[in-house]
Formats: sequence, C-alpha cells, structure tokens
Amino acid sequence: MTGLGAVSALFVRDLRGIIRSRSQLYSSIFTPLLFLVFLGNGVSEGLEPSTLPAGNFTAYLVAGAVVMTSVFSSTFSSASYYRDRDSGILRMFLVSPHQPRVILLGKSLAGVFIGSVQAIVVLLVAAPFVDFEWQHGVLGGLGLAIAAVVLLNLMLAGVAQALASRIQTMQGFHLVMNLALFPLLFLSGAFFPVDNLPMWLEVLARVNPLSYAVDALELSAYARGGAGFVGLGVDFAVLGGLSVAVYAAGFARLPKLTWSGQ
Amino acid sequence: MTLSAVTAEASAIIDARGLVRTYGDRRALDGFTLAVPPGSVFGLLGPNGSGKSTFVSMVAAMELPAEGSLLVFGERPAPGLRRRVGTMFQENAQDPLMGVSETLALAGRLFGMAGPRLRARSSELLEALGMAARRDDPVSSLSGGMRRRLEIARALLHEPELLLLDEPTTGIDVAERRALWDTVAGQAGAGRTVIVATNDLSEADLVCDRVAFVREGRVVAAGTPAELKRGLKREVIRVTWLSPSDAQLSELGRMAGTGQVTSDGDLVHITVDDAAAFVPRLFDVAPGAIRSVTIEPASLEDAYFRHVGHGTRAGEGVPV
Repeated sequence: MTGLGAVSALFVRDLRGIIRSRSQLYSSIFTPLLFLVFLGNGVSEGLEPSTLPAGNFTAYLVAGAVVMTSVFSSTFSSASYYRDRDSGILRMFLVSPHQPRVILLGKSLAGVFIGSVQAIVVLLVAAPFVDFEWQHGVLGGLGLAIAAVVLLNLMLAGVAQALASRIQTMQGFHLVMNLALFPLLFLSGAFFPVDNLPMWLEVLARVNPLSYAVDALELSAYARGGAGFVGLGVDFAVLGGLSVAVYAAGFARLPKLTWSGQ
Repeated sequence: MTLSAVTAEASAIIDARGLVRTYGDRRALDGFTLAVPPGSVFGLLGPNGSGKSTFVSMVAAMELPAEGSLLVFGERPAPGLRRRVGTMFQENAQDPLMGVSETLALAGRLFGMAGPRLRARSSELLEALGMAARRDDPVSSLSGGMRRRLEIARALLHEPELLLLDEPTTGIDVAERRALWDTVAGQAGAGRTVIVATNDLSEADLVCDRVAFVREGRVVAAGTPAELKRGLKREVIRVTWLSPSDAQLSELGRMAGTGQVTSDGDLVHITVDDAAAFVPRLFDVAPGAIRSVTIEPASLEDAYFRHVGHGTRAGEGVPV
C-alpha cells in the first residue's frame, strides 16, 4: 500500500474542514479585498499615481493582496494541526501505517489547494476594477499568476506545517508566524515598491522569498515598464527552488508528531 | 504465576523484555517484561501512571524504548506493522465536527480500504455495535458511550489481528460498560488477541483469560485470574465496625485461618479460609460493635491489592 491513498484521504478531510469553517474561508478572501478597497483608494488619493509602476495604488496592491491571502490562508490551514491534536483525531492519523511525513504532506496539500484558490479568487475579483496591462495576454498572464500562486502556497504551507509540527501550542505557532511573516510581507513589495529603497532594506527585500512572488504576480498582470524587480525567470526559479527545498527538507528529517506533548 | 514465569515465550504475539522509557526524570517503564500469548484477552491492571498506556503506545509503534527489546508478531514495532494492530486510546480519536460514517471512512482509507469493502465493513460494525441509526449524525451529538463504541468500530475496521484497548470503559455508564465488555470478549472468539489496559478489576476478572499486574513501570505478577487468586485466603469478609482498636485487629490477625486484616476507620477487610467459622469469633472479639458483615469469595481485586499494594484503593488501611 502506498501513502497516496492516505495523502488523498487527509487532503479531502482537511479541505472539508476548511470549507466547513466558513468564517475562516470568507475572512481570508475579504480581508485582502478590504485592503484593496480602503487602503488602495485612500493612498491613491494622497499620492502621485504616476510614481507607481501600476499607475494607481489599488492596482499596485493587487499582487500584495494575493500574496497576503496566501500567507493568511497557509497560516490558518496549518493551525488545523492543533485542532486535530486537541480534538483527538490526530491519534487516528498517528496509528495508521504511515510515516508522519505522509500525514503532513496530505494536510499540506489541502492548505496549498485552498490557499491557491483563495488567492486566485482575490485576483479575479480585483482584476475587473483595476487597469491591468496583461502584457502576456489575459490567459497567459493568468496562467503565470496561477503558477506563481501555487508555488508560493507550496512553499508557505510546507514551512507552516513543519513549524506547526514542532511548536507545542497554537498561540506559539501564531506568534512565530506573525513575527516572521509580517516583516516579510512589508519587505516584499506588497505595500510599496522595493526597488528604490535604501541599500540595507533592498538587501533584505532581495533575500525575502515573498518579494519574488509579488514580483512574479506584478509581471504577470502589468508591465511595470520593464523587467520588474528581478524578472519572471528568476522569480519562478526562486519560488520553485524554495518549494522543492522545503519539501525535501521535510521528507529528509522525520517530523515530530505527538499527541501527548511528552 | 510469578514474575519469573512471565519470561518471553517463542509463540508470544508480544514479547517484551526489560523495557525502559523515561519522560524527563520519571521512569514510565522500568524493566517491563511480558509475554502475551496469541488468541487471549490479556488484561493490564495497575494504578494510573503505572506504565500501562506507555506500553500500549510502544506496541502500537508510537513510542520507542530507551532500553530493552520489544517484538510484536516477531518484529520490532514500526508503522507498517500497524496494519495488523487496532488501537483504541484512553481519549477518543475523533473530530466532533465529522460524521460517524465519515469518521470510519477516513480511518478505513488510512488503512488502504476503499469502495464497497469499506462501506460494507463500516455498516457491519455500526450494526453490530448498535449505531446503525446514527451513521449520518455528527460525532458531537453522540453520548460518551456511543463515542467509545465508535472508537471500537474504528479500531476493528481494518480487521486487525491484535486489538489494543487503553481504558476502554472510561467515562461511560454501567449499561454501556457491560455492552462494551461483551464486545471485547467477543473479539477473542473471532481469533483476535486483545490487550486491555484497565482499572476495572471486576470486569477484567470476568473477561480476561490472562492478566498482568503493573506497578511503577514493571510487571509484578502475571497469569490467569485463577492462578493469581491462588494462595489467597478463600473468602473476604468486609465488616462495618465501630472504632476497632489495634489490639482487637491484631487479635483477629492471630486467629488460625486468617490472612490479612486491614482497616480504614470503621471499615475492616479480612481474608480468611472459612468465613462461617470466623464470623462467630469476630462477634466475640467485638461484642456490640459490629454493624454489618459481608462475605464474598476472594476476587481478582484482592489479588491485585496483594501484589500492587495498599493505599491505592479508597478504604484500604495498613496491613495489621
């Protein structure tokens, strides 16, 4: 028996759990959209739009909102580890004839799927209201955006699941995720361009994996008048490489999954 | 059977020798040695924290021993071996938001079951456990007893050869407990080996073919209930006695045919060879102070307290 049946069973189970949790589902989509509506319009009125690559701040924020959706979604999805542990069903997974890595993979893929769908929904809802150039054509641009979103969610869900399986409490997990993810979001170009920052901030932006997701999404939707922050090729190479590295590391080192806390 | 007779046997389904497991400074298992023969209902009896659950977790390949060796079906426990093992934990392994059938479907798929085979087996178990009418209900709507039955169904779903039950009757009422023990007893008839970690001594006496008494991380005695009761005085007298003095209790203890005399306040517990001969002498020792006398045959509970010790049961005093 391979672990594929178990991975798909856990995938479907987590997906159902997320779909049942309507508040989580809706808030992950509406929060970034509210950012777009209020922050985008508010800041656009007070700034000179021509200084922004997208022409207006609302359009500029779309890539950041999509990345933010993925970040929130992967965090919420991975917190299901704690719900599973506290409700007791994690024990059922742990007495199955599978290694913990199979359990984490199944749960992680559910997080990737739901995070990607939510992020694409935000992009599709926002797109008609902003003026994208779609420099690769609408279908081509959407295809590139979906690829970037899936790679981003693979990376985020992998990291979040690995952290969740090693941090004892949900409060600790959220603390670590917030502490790590908010600075990464701020320095990713999600809320302001990072190519004209002071040198030390630009260095931080360049080592920030989320920068490459924001850049890939921006370049998928509008030209930014050039090759973007680093260019689509580098963006996808970094996102793909990191996703592979995260799962390879997770598979190489057996995750610690316990229900007793001992 | 004494500890020396609990040595591993070649035919044993579980062969544990000198297992040690520590959590920080606490030694949960401390030289745990046990052999479980195939086809038996084997009771692990001991106080809370004695190491029963840790041993069950090791057999289920959830914990590794720091020292000693453990063979299950002749192999070292590993995740793949769990295909042959069904485990029911002390706490339920359920998501209250999921449905009854949904829970079994997920459990089955984790064990490689699918399609008609999984549906048929789920239906069969829900029918046998009296839960067929609740198959579409959410787990959160089930009573404590029904949740335990669902746990049994989950553990039996993939038709394991070895069934591990950790405190299966925790938190359920008397009627549910009886039904659950009947289910456990029925599993041995189906050719399974069942290991039950429990504090329910009277039920274990009725259901288990063999038992092991566990204390402070090691097996202190093992055998059939009849073997463990052998050597005990034949009968137990429980006496309600107004203010017994140490001198009176000592006098009883010196009488021929008397075993242990223990007391806790007005309750006195005496083991004897012949209760009919003993009781008149009891009234001679304490005229006017005896309020009630109950005579029972010696039970597994008496053997348990003999081996595991006093002070773990309410009402037990210091041996005289």
